[in-house]
Amino acid sequence: MKRPITVMAVLAAVAALGACGGSDEPSGGGGTGTTDPAQVKGAVRVIMEEVPDTDVVKELLPGFRKAYPGVEVKIEALPYDQMRDRIVSSFLAAKPTYDMIIVDNPWMVDFVEGGFLDPLDDRIKAAKDYAFEDFSEPLRKIAQVDGKTYGVPFYNYGLALVYRKDLYEKAGLSAPQTLDDLKAAAAKLTSDGRSGIAMQPQKGYKIFEEWGNYLFAAGGSIQDDEGKVTLDSPEARTALKEYIAIYKASAPKNSLNWAFDEAIRAASSDKAAQLLSYNWTLPTLNKEGELKDSFAVAEVPGGKAVLGAWYWSIPANSATKDAAWSFIEWLTSQAQEKQRVIAGGAPVRDSVLDDPEVWEQGYGEEYYKTVKEILADAAPLAHGRNAEEMINVVGEELNAAVAGQKSVDDAISAAATRAEETLAK
Amino acid sequence: MSRRIPIGYRFLAPLLALLALLVAYPLGYSLWLSLTNRTITRQEIAFVGLDQYSGLLSNAGYGVAMRNTLIFVVCAVGIELALGLLIALALQRQRWARDVTRAFLLTPMFVTPIAVGLMFRFLLNQQLGAIPQVLDTAGVTIDFFGPTLALATIVAIDVWQWTPFMVLLLLAGLESLPRQPFEAAKVDGASMWMTFRRITLPLLRPVIAIAVVLRALDAFKIFEYVFATTRGGPGTATETIQYQIYRTAFQFFRLGEAAAMGFVLVGVVLTLVVVLHRLLMRQEAAT
Repeated sequence: MKRPITVMAVLAAVAALGACGGSDEPSGGGGTGTTDPAQVKGAVRVIMEEVPDTDVVKELLPGFRKAYPGVEVKIEALPYDQMRDRIVSSFLAAKPTYDMIIVDNPWMVDFVEGGFLDPLDDRIKAAKDYAFEDFSEPLRKIAQVDGKTYGVPFYNYGLALVYRKDLYEKAGLSAPQTLDDLKAAAAKLTSDGRSGIAMQPQKGYKIFEEWGNYLFAAGGSIQDDEGKVTLDSPEARTALKEYIAIYKASAPKNSLNWAFDEAIRAASSDKAAQLLSYNWTLPTLNKEGELKDSFAVAEVPGGKAVLGAWYWSIPANSATKDAAWSFIEWLTSQAQEKQRVIAGGAPVRDSVLDDPEVWEQGYGEEYYKTVKEILADAAPLAHGRNAEEMINVVGEELNAAVAGQKSVDDAISAAATRAEETLAK
Repeated sequence: MSRRIPIGYRFLAPLLALLALLVAYPLGYSLWLSLTNRTITRQEIAFVGLDQYSGLLSNAGYGVAMRNTLIFVVCAVGIELALGLLIALALQRQRWARDVTRAFLLTPMFVTPIAVGLMFRFLLNQQLGAIPQVLDTAGVTIDFFGPTLALATIVAIDVWQWTPFMVLLLLAGLESLPRQPFEAAKVDGASMWMTFRRITLPLLRPVIAIAVVLRALDAFKIFEYVFATTRGGPGTATETIQYQIYRTAFQFFRLGEAAAMGFVLVGVVLTLVVVLHRLLMRQEAAT
């Protein structure tokens, strides 16, 4: 006689076991596989963020199709949070959703330790005329974990001072070299309808990304060479005091929650005279409208900028690793990088930054020279385990100080303690 | 002689199996997770007993989130109850255009919460929003997402969306009340306030109890509005439990800790629901 309960229970148990994901063993140097354009075949599902650089890559796809007729690349673009959640789900699933991903620099060490990324050293070595050292050094360092490389730089988002050169000229100002210069310039350019500077004090990543430049300008640092947190310093306190002072004097009213979108909007609608933002926002701001070509970039005061970057990586559970690598190799080769940058992508290779053709067909010599200087002396906010969480807890304390909920002293020491705790978890 | 399972249980078996798969298994797995140190980005996993739970006791952020959530629930549900009762009483007495008014008033409930969150984010945005622009013409500037007002703004968004829910339940309750006590009160010359306090409210108590419990249960899970607008800021002013669980699990990858947070929330909510229910039901028995 049939026992429905037993049958159901067995079915339930089987379904439950099937839902558990498997994990892959990462191989040593990654292997090389085939890279012959005639032989490589496969469909590569890529996930990217909804940013201008993704559009540039999409424009280059037809060229890749011609070079590698056997490989089909499908790009899915999503906002940041959704993208991260999807990537993590794909790592854990039995069958991966993506064969190629982009990795934000804070995630690098965590993803590697989880065994989610394939090391790329063998593939890089086997690539012909690739010139991997041509990639800017700080960028290469970020993708190296335990001596192995897990990502190829895609685009950088180093911070710069993006300012209205027409307003600066009228006021007789030159690019600020110190925090005091910045404070004075912002104060001078504050008028009735326009704030001196648009700031991004949003709790978490954004405020730390902006304030980090202030910290570097004041001579402070976030971590030392061994990774120990060095935030609890008089320089950090000075930097935070200056940040709050400039916010109170020259930032738009009620902009405590402002992040990237709000600040760019303010600058592009003539409501703010300058902002600290990614160097690649310059072409977008200068493109069209009343303020066409009114903006310029300079290094942040002090010259050392906060660096962020995205990397191309191959998940360990990718279904078409060779095809994915063929796309990465093609897109990041010197020739294609040049095309990508001319089309508006943020540069990562030194040779491209020095190329007069790029200057001519891109955004002008001054812009690329400045970007090269920015990249030469830039550092990420955090490197190591739990980097993303560490950035968020520090950002929370900084925002509390700007909101007036905590004193500068309390905020800095709390930030340093919590950062140290987080990195040790 | 083989023991035969009663026919009733055999009919229940498919449903129980489905419940076991969809509810018991995830809950059980969650409970097991909360007793480990499982992190998505680490390959090792160890059983740590109640360490995750005891860790929460010293986690200041968790305490703040719990406090914010409780304040939010009390304020939001309280305002929704008062406002909902007022609107329900008014709707009950309405004579013309009843269906249109009701349909109109109930629409906020049918919009997806995340869409409501995004809608208010742009409505109250200092640069783009319609409301700050209108206030500007009157010379008033309100920092809706500033440190003092952020939680109040989230409460306001919740009130906007879920008062219709209260209206629905309370209206149904009002319309099912017996007429005799009200007619008797009218004959005896009771004032409107007296009728309301001595007859309507006591008779409505079970409906109010259900409405408050249902709404409070939902309010504890507040996430969409925070995610769409303030992301828990400024500082930790709008950090709620659900948002913190999401961040701990999916931004910081610590599944064990997030599971423990979830179960503590379950405990708190269950306690409150039982207490609330007993309180409101006991009062009904007393009258």
